[in-house]
Amino acid sequence: MQINTFTRYSVVALLVFVVLAAIPRITDDISILDTGIMICANGLFALSLNLLVGRTGLLSFGHGGFYAAGAYSFGLLMQTGMFSIPAAFALTIVFVAALSALVALVCVRLNETYFTFITLAFQMLFYNIILSWTSLTGGDQGLLGGIPKPVFLGIDLVNPVHLYLFCCGIFLVCVVLLYQITQSPFGYTLRMIRDNTERARFLGVAVNRYKVASFTLAGAFAGIGGMFMALFVSGAYPSFGYWTMSGDGIFMIMLGGMNTFLGPLVGAIILIVLNDLTTIYTDHYGLVLGCVILVFVLGLRRGLLDFIVEGIRDRRASKMDQTIQPTVPKEEIPR
Amino acid sequence: MDFSSLIGCVSSASCMVTQSLSGLTIGMLLFLVASGLSLIFGVLKITNFAHGSFYMLGAYFALTVYQVTNNYFLAVCGAALGVGLFGVLFERFLIRRIYGSNVLMQLLLSYAVILILDDIVMLVWGSEFQSMGMPDLFRVPPIRFAGAYIPVFYLFLIVAAFAIAGGLWFLIEKTRFGKVVRAAAHNGEMAAALGINTSLLYSFTLGLGGVLAGLAGGLAAPVRSLVPGMGMSILIESFIVTVIGGMGSIVGAFVSAIVIGLTRSFGGIVMPEFTDGLMFLVMVIVLIVKPTGLFSKGRD
Amino acid sequence: MGKTGKRSIHRRAFVKGIGGVAMVAAVAGFPAIVRARNTGPIRIGVSAIMSGRVAQMGSSSTNGAIMRVDAFNTSGGLNGRMIELIIRDSKGRPDEAARINRDFINRDDCDMILSLEASTGAFAVQEVVRELGTLCMHCLSETSSLTADPKLRTPNAFRSGRQGAHDAISAGSYAASIAKEKSLKKWMTVGPNYAYGHDTTEQFLNYLNHFSPDIELGSQLWPKIFQPDYTDVINKILQEKPDAVFTCLWGGDLSSFIEQGNLYGLFDQAQYFCIALADYTTMAAVKHLPSGIHSGNRYVSTFPGSATNAAWEAEYVRQFNSRPTNWSWEAALGMQFLIEGIRKTGSSDGNEIAGVLPGMIVNSPFGVDGTITMRAEDQTIVEYGTGWGVTQSTEPFMPNVTPTDWKLIYELEAAWKKEQGYI
Repeated sequence: MQINTFTRYSVVALLVFVVLAAIPRITDDISILDTGIMICANGLFALSLNLLVGRTGLLSFGHGGFYAAGAYSFGLLMQTGMFSIPAAFALTIVFVAALSALVALVCVRLNETYFTFITLAFQMLFYNIILSWTSLTGGDQGLLGGIPKPVFLGIDLVNPVHLYLFCCGIFLVCVVLLYQITQSPFGYTLRMIRDNTERARFLGVAVNRYKVASFTLAGAFAGIGGMFMALFVSGAYPSFGYWTMSGDGIFMIMLGGMNTFLGPLVGAIILIVLNDLTTIYTDHYGLVLGCVILVFVLGLRRGLLDFIVEGIRDRRASKMDQTIQPTVPKEEIPR
Repeated sequence: MDFSSLIGCVSSASCMVTQSLSGLTIGMLLFLVASGLSLIFGVLKITNFAHGSFYMLGAYFALTVYQVTNNYFLAVCGAALGVGLFGVLFERFLIRRIYGSNVLMQLLLSYAVILILDDIVMLVWGSEFQSMGMPDLFRVPPIRFAGAYIPVFYLFLIVAAFAIAGGLWFLIEKTRFGKVVRAAAHNGEMAAALGINTSLLYSFTLGLGGVLAGLAGGLAAPVRSLVPGMGMSILIESFIVTVIGGMGSIVGAFVSAIVIGLTRSFGGIVMPEFTDGLMFLVMVIVLIVKPTGLFSKGRD
Repeated sequence: MGKTGKRSIHRRAFVKGIGGVAMVAAVAGFPAIVRARNTGPIRIGVSAIMSGRVAQMGSSSTNGAIMRVDAFNTSGGLNGRMIELIIRDSKGRPDEAARINRDFINRDDCDMILSLEASTGAFAVQEVVRELGTLCMHCLSETSSLTADPKLRTPNAFRSGRQGAHDAISAGSYAASIAKEKSLKKWMTVGPNYAYGHDTTEQFLNYLNHFSPDIELGSQLWPKIFQPDYTDVINKILQEKPDAVFTCLWGGDLSSFIEQGNLYGLFDQAQYFCIALADYTTMAAVKHLPSGIHSGNRYVSTFPGSATNAAWEAEYVRQFNSRPTNWSWEAALGMQFLIEGIRKTGSSDGNEIAGVLPGMIVNSPFGVDGTITMRAEDQTIVEYGTGWGVTQSTEPFMPNVTPTDWKLIYELEAAWKKEQGYI
């Protein structure tokens, strides 16, 4: 059964890729491709964070640290000139996964709010190290001189279209993997841990091990997002690892919806588009963006995709009520 | 890492006095902000991430009142009242609407408020950094004690902060209002069931938190440069203080604020470039050793 | 120089020619960039920091640019073609700066970029224009390596701002002369703990030692940028009792440091050399500015002491109701170079303009002798007014400025470049 669903997701992803690949043929506007790359980077970051927040119930406020780790290690590896892009990619994933596993081992022993604080503390520790270790990271100026992009397998990442397709392709692969993870027994165990950790423990689940695994996976995917961003800006900057990056990740999840799989992606798109629009059309981007977010928080009170999906589900549920008991008028059923 | 300087300092009376005093000054200001944060968390179970903006507003209100009246004490009172009022309005119109939602919504709300306030401050007061200047009352030569220089203003700051801390302690521990606050902090539902007007209490608590942050902003204004966005750094630091001390514990905030203040001042001798990292390291250690904070009751 | 043109057309041909997905789109879509537009407004993309703690950087620099552009447009523009500035807020984030500038070039049809980013943002923009080949004028970045390091330099990017390396030579030579005069033996430094602070302090000490080899260096202090409390710094200074202190703190940090230092009577106990004090905002913000502090000139209308400089300041104040900053003149100058390039080539083609900018000399109120040159070899400005003086607490704040001889700057700069391996 599992293999069938995996094939199904892959086919869907492939179709999506075909659609995305058509965009550069239809339009000559490179900025759309740029936006696409940014959506891949931020979307993957948000989706990976939701593996922790939405699926495992672990509110991590230090996720930006792994995003930055991905960007910096990829950038540094490429700047040595000794690695091809696929090699640097693979090495970065391994490094970031190892890093997040180590951090996870320390953090998962804490519960809830304190888990959040300690992840934040770790991220800020990394941030300060990035800032202080100037000889390696360039300090506050970031990695200078650009990231070399040698051609591999006929793909030239200097070409914006190639970069766009490369990011979309890898992004879709990651999305399929993440979805597979959440739909697998592993994913369901994570949800069990989220809903009632004690009960999971009584049922014999090695809760901490699952938390560490979830954290490690999330960190690795975030690192891939960081690599996309590094390729896009041709560098890596300390701001990638500042706590505001983690905050942005949370906001994307909240704006799009925590309870649907693609919610965080929708949230990433919303935030990117909002940011773009407010930067172009207003002088006071903070005021406008803040007010729009307030509308979300006070009005919708949950993410957009959650709102839509739950709205559809509620309507379907009420229709089901009607079909099950067709003779009873709807008004008499107490709501 | 300059441990020899540290040893040299510990053995010198003037250095000990100077560093302890500067640690106390930093610590007491931090306490004023952190105590409000802790109080709000204790009673409302809400982490007020916009608290740094309260501090910023306090500083700017103080600046304006000072520019109009040329009286520092009026300026500080103006700051306290202004931000207190803002806190009440903040609760009534914004926080109240998200009580049921999870902490992430609170975070998102606070982020929106920070963005909006930073821009409003820039619109009203301008983007250039501003300075209140030292009130004439304190423009006197520093006191010499044990070879150290002690600015009179910093002494005033420490005394004022201690007085406020004392007043706060008295309010919480010895008054009827304080009893209500403690009851609601312990069990909000029960308190409501016993007929306490919890919604009024919540407004008041946020107002009190605002007053404390406003006082901090006003007291610090003469020695700070005011700029939109100045709330961020104090937010992070007071956050660390509250976490280390235990969210909801005023005593915890007091002790950990002083610890952090002293860590900063003495740590600045040993490794000046990593004092921030040092603070986060202390936080990590405390969280590993006692996750709920040093002075909490051990509950989550 | 033809270099730029050939390289970018090469890249575009390369892109067009490459097989694969975008062939049709490429042929249809890229002409917009390849063909310079001959009609319609001349669009210049400006990314600046308009919000947050250094929002003044954005507001004062864009003011300087706007003033220049308005003068150009009112006088008829380029045969009726006006300059249109598209100003966007990068919020001080380098990835945002990169994105905004890419959009300027890819989406908004900008002919050239006026980069009003601080140093980190400027490096990010540099990578964008390096890749896309668009003409870029950096105005506010003071990090010398942006133009001095051949690995970071790119033929289509120029700098119209002051440089840390030049300012350090200016500071070092002045400080050495005062050190001789007043027998200042023991020195300390206070610098904000980021690249600018470290580089500036290191370079200053380098030149101080060069001119005055018998200087004794005490502790070097590195407070965090935007750190609100300077008590530990002040205490260290009080402990060590130096004869002189050099600091490259600036803006609100400098203002806080002075206000707090006053509480301890700090400025009576040593000679202070503040590279960034002579800036109207800072001097006006500090309520009790002590007299007798030495400062380099960020912007003061008294130096260069020409009528045109005073007139420029008066016009700026009239238009914007605030006084100009260092960023204002740098942006105004950058705009001036672009406009001169537009006039000289009679076009808005970035490649052509990049060809005439190297070596260009413009008349400028900020030039030591009334002119400023865009040096050809590293595409950065020289002959701008850099000097030091003593500040006072009342207007005009710094009445007398000792200008630094550019011959000296050239000589020492060349030695520095050799040392760094840049030449």
